[in-house]
Amino acid sequence: MSKWYSVPTSKTARRLVAAAAGLAGVAFLSGCASNAPQDTWQPKGPNAEKIDDLQRPVFAIAGIVGVIVFAAIGYAVFKYRDRGQPIPEQSHGKPVLEISMTVLPAIILAAIGVFTFQTIFDLAKTDDTEMVINVTGQQWWWEYDYPVQEQYGITDPIITSGQLVIPAGTKVLLRETSRDVIHSYWIPALNGKRDAVPGRVHTLRLEADEPGIYAGQCTEFCGLSHAAMRMEAVALDRDDFAAWVKGQLSLAASPADGTLAKEGEAVFLNQCIRCHQVNGLKRADGSPAIAAPEDNVWSGAAPNLTHLMSRNTFAGASWDLLTKGCRKDVWGSPSQEFGEKYLAGVTEDCLNQNDLRRWLRNAPAMKAMYADPTKLEKSGGKYRGMPNLGLSEDDIDKLVAYLATLK
Amino acid sequence: MAIIERPAPVGAPALPAPVTPTRTYGALRRPVATTGWKSWVFTVDHKKLGIMYGAVAMFFFIVGGIEAVLIRLQLAAPDNKVLTADVYNQMFTMHATTMVFLFVMPMAAAFANYFVPLQIGARDVAFPRINAFGFWTLVGGGIIVNLSWFLGGAADGGWFMYAPNSGPVFSPSNGVDFWALGLQITGIASLTGAVNLIVTVLNMRAPGMSLMKMPVFTWLQLVVQFLLLFAIPVITVALFLLSFQRSFGATFFDVSAGADPLLWQHLFWIFGHPEVYILVLPSFGIISEVLPVFSKKPLFGYPFVVFSGAAIGFVGWGVWAHHMFASGLGPVSVAVFSIATMAIAVPTGVKIINWTMTIWGGKLNFTAAMHFAIGLVVLFTIGGLSGVTHAVAPSDTQQTDTYYIVAHFHYVLFGGAIFGLFAGFYYWWPKVFGKQLNERLGKANFWLMVIGMNLTFGPMHMIGLQGQPRRMYIWTEARAGEGLFNLGFWNRVASIGSLILTVGVLLFLINVWKTARSKQVAPLDPWDARTLEWMTTSPPKEHNFDAIPTVRHLDEFFHRKYAQDSVTHEIKQVSTAEDIVRDQEANADKHIHMPSPSYWPIILASGLPVIALGVIYAIPVAIVGAVIVVLALFGWSLEPSTAPETDFDPPASEDGTKELAPLG
Repeated sequence: MSKWYSVPTSKTARRLVAAAAGLAGVAFLSGCASNAPQDTWQPKGPNAEKIDDLQRPVFAIAGIVGVIVFAAIGYAVFKYRDRGQPIPEQSHGKPVLEISMTVLPAIILAAIGVFTFQTIFDLAKTDDTEMVINVTGQQWWWEYDYPVQEQYGITDPIITSGQLVIPAGTKVLLRETSRDVIHSYWIPALNGKRDAVPGRVHTLRLEADEPGIYAGQCTEFCGLSHAAMRMEAVALDRDDFAAWVKGQLSLAASPADGTLAKEGEAVFLNQCIRCHQVNGLKRADGSPAIAAPEDNVWSGAAPNLTHLMSRNTFAGASWDLLTKGCRKDVWGSPSQEFGEKYLAGVTEDCLNQNDLRRWLRNAPAMKAMYADPTKLEKSGGKYRGMPNLGLSEDDIDKLVAYLATLK
Repeated sequence: MAIIERPAPVGAPALPAPVTPTRTYGALRRPVATTGWKSWVFTVDHKKLGIMYGAVAMFFFIVGGIEAVLIRLQLAAPDNKVLTADVYNQMFTMHATTMVFLFVMPMAAAFANYFVPLQIGARDVAFPRINAFGFWTLVGGGIIVNLSWFLGGAADGGWFMYAPNSGPVFSPSNGVDFWALGLQITGIASLTGAVNLIVTVLNMRAPGMSLMKMPVFTWLQLVVQFLLLFAIPVITVALFLLSFQRSFGATFFDVSAGADPLLWQHLFWIFGHPEVYILVLPSFGIISEVLPVFSKKPLFGYPFVVFSGAAIGFVGWGVWAHHMFASGLGPVSVAVFSIATMAIAVPTGVKIINWTMTIWGGKLNFTAAMHFAIGLVVLFTIGGLSGVTHAVAPSDTQQTDTYYIVAHFHYVLFGGAIFGLFAGFYYWWPKVFGKQLNERLGKANFWLMVIGMNLTFGPMHMIGLQGQPRRMYIWTEARAGEGLFNLGFWNRVASIGSLILTVGVLLFLINVWKTARSKQVAPLDPWDARTLEWMTTSPPKEHNFDAIPTVRHLDEFFHRKYAQDSVTHEIKQVSTAEDIVRDQEANADKHIHMPSPSYWPIILASGLPVIALGVIYAIPVAIVGAVIVVLALFGWSLEPSTAPETDFDPPASEDGTKELAPLG
């Protein structure tokens, strides 16, 4: 009598189950995505490669041990099922077998341990650093601050966000900290993750073999919009990097009078300047416009927008400034063409107006933020994230025109 | 005073004159109801408390399960909108909190409460009123933790509640306050339970039961109680710091006041890692009972299982920082904790080998309980091996906080802890309720859970290794890769798996319901078991054993039933469970002393949630709660262990079916 919930007991049924399980196993092993941007198995730099070299044998050993254990259990389950055999001897174990089975895994683990030790210390080295970048996490974006390093043409500090731009083939050391809660910096293709902890400075080695763009994601839960705190590392060859530095050191020029962008500048000076700095921006009276985010934002910082259009993402690298096609063009380009395409920035044709406008219309609706004025009691009225500015469609048109000039 | 459910012996010899106080010290008379709700609410019987622990834990299992399904529904599609970011963050925080603190721990406590006294041949635990207090404290804590859902939002900082994200600015709702205070209260339950069970095991074993003749389940529960005894104070301190920071403006984790947020991480994980063993060792104990019974063989290498359990208990204290490999501890700390973590894999591996060797050469009977036990061995092995891959610290920096970790600990906790608990349900149900769960439904329950569990958590290995972080309320196509088997595909598979898992758990509930309605009574010894808890009626009488057995062997019950022929070495049955129990009844102990029910445990426990609410909303309320606690403590202390019959509510019945023997 077999009911709907009965377990298959006939031989064919059992074979079917076994075949299904086998197929599932094969699907499992061949079931990886191709080109997942954050794949931990595709290192693109020496630090990540070191980890990869270490973990591949470990996974293999774990797999072999697993197969042996499952084979033993499977054999026992099949072989010793009750077929009316006499009650087995009531033996309490075989100490020699026990001890050897304790020592054997210990030896395997000790061997793994030696290589683990070596890699831990290799990855903690800082004395071979060729370039330093300060990285600061806050809810929910990353700020990059390049201290003066003349050998790379960085004659003034550069402050940027969203995309970390580094010279390829250069040993970069990130010095991480945070302005509010704990975040974690992770570009899987370049290295493992390292937490950015307020009040502490942690270092992380990064080096990319080839020019290209490498995706990452904040990996320490950091509150409401943790899911929308992404980042990308962009590696450029030496010349392209020098060009990028030069671009970043330039000041924003005011748009020509009478243009829509000029009106946008006025909107910016009226609203955005409270938090967002644009280097070189001047008020109508000619005085420099200085943002004061510490008065409005809990972390005391908002992304510097001077060269917004030189990076191709915004809002914690969660939305593209490039339209889909243009983005694909940049991300998918071979490494020798990549630098040129990246340095072109966001052109008029490629600007993803849709998302940018949506953002200006009501940022908290796109990315969850603590920006409801009625809920800011505990932070003393300061926002965590960008509030809804209540801009008119007119103002948004103007602002988009202005932002597009920030190359 | 004692109540035993045994006809008063006719013509019994005159009792010595009872020594009873002449007046009542307690403010309330003692309840004596043996039926109806009062017999449960005021009980101090370890078996009734065990059942209530189980029922409450099962309720929270369903709550935590619903939370899990909502999480998977949200993640079934990219940029999904089932839950908002805010609600999602509350959901995963509460899912973990509920499953860890309100399901697995209380369910393990349910098994410990019910079976440890029975397995060691005791009549109750050492401190029955404290036992009842622990249960009601758990209920109060569970209510406080979950009340936040209805009062402005639950805790949203993750179950690890890292500072400073748990501070008032970053988590402005009262959720974290409810969470911290609620867990503080359930911590009291764990701590009192631990003390109680340690004293019980060390002092109340039947004559002849040396520690090395003790059933493995009791052994591993003993290890767990020691872990609780030392781990709970650490989380207590951490939660106090957090509550003071949130409610009274303290600055323990405030960076601008010079604090280091890593303090919280150390405190949390010094508790949190032993906690992992607190969750899984009871289940190891359960299957170490189940596998031998259904293999008709003793546990292979009993001393190795016991000592590897104890070794895990010790080494478990030296591995907490492997949760912090990416926190920036510096290479020396990371290296040390990496090696220590590999070291703990050794005693864990010993257990897997011993379980495999237990069934090796046995006479295997594949009951539902046996299915779950073997399922545990297989699934836990997968979780253990993935654990070794992140003991390798550099590799862990790629894996930590991704779905690979989610996969790992669900194989360990679902495949390990929960499968063990289900093995326990099927194995011990006839003991507790006198009826057997339906075996066919049980096996269907098993297969659906195995398939659902592997479909849910198996793909998470790949999702994680291919870069999807945990605790994100949305995932996006942009980071999901290409091809049919991209991360989106596996996210959908995981969501479908969670629904299959849900059906599996529902089958269990249906099974419970069907069994409760069935009139079929279970045989006395349905599994041909090996340990003392089966050497009495099902369900056991209030006093457990008519005569306390004298123990001569490990697996005493088996040795009473079977003997080896000295010539042929054949093992033959020489006695049945019925014979043995009948023999006990015939030689019943006289004057069995059983603890009386009491009002005080629940009154004392009820004061604690009041204090918690007061701390959150208004201090005067907390004072009211404190007054309840202090008065209850006085009432409790003044309640005499022996008292005149007038001190009972209602007074003793005189129809002779109950004997009130004022002797202790």
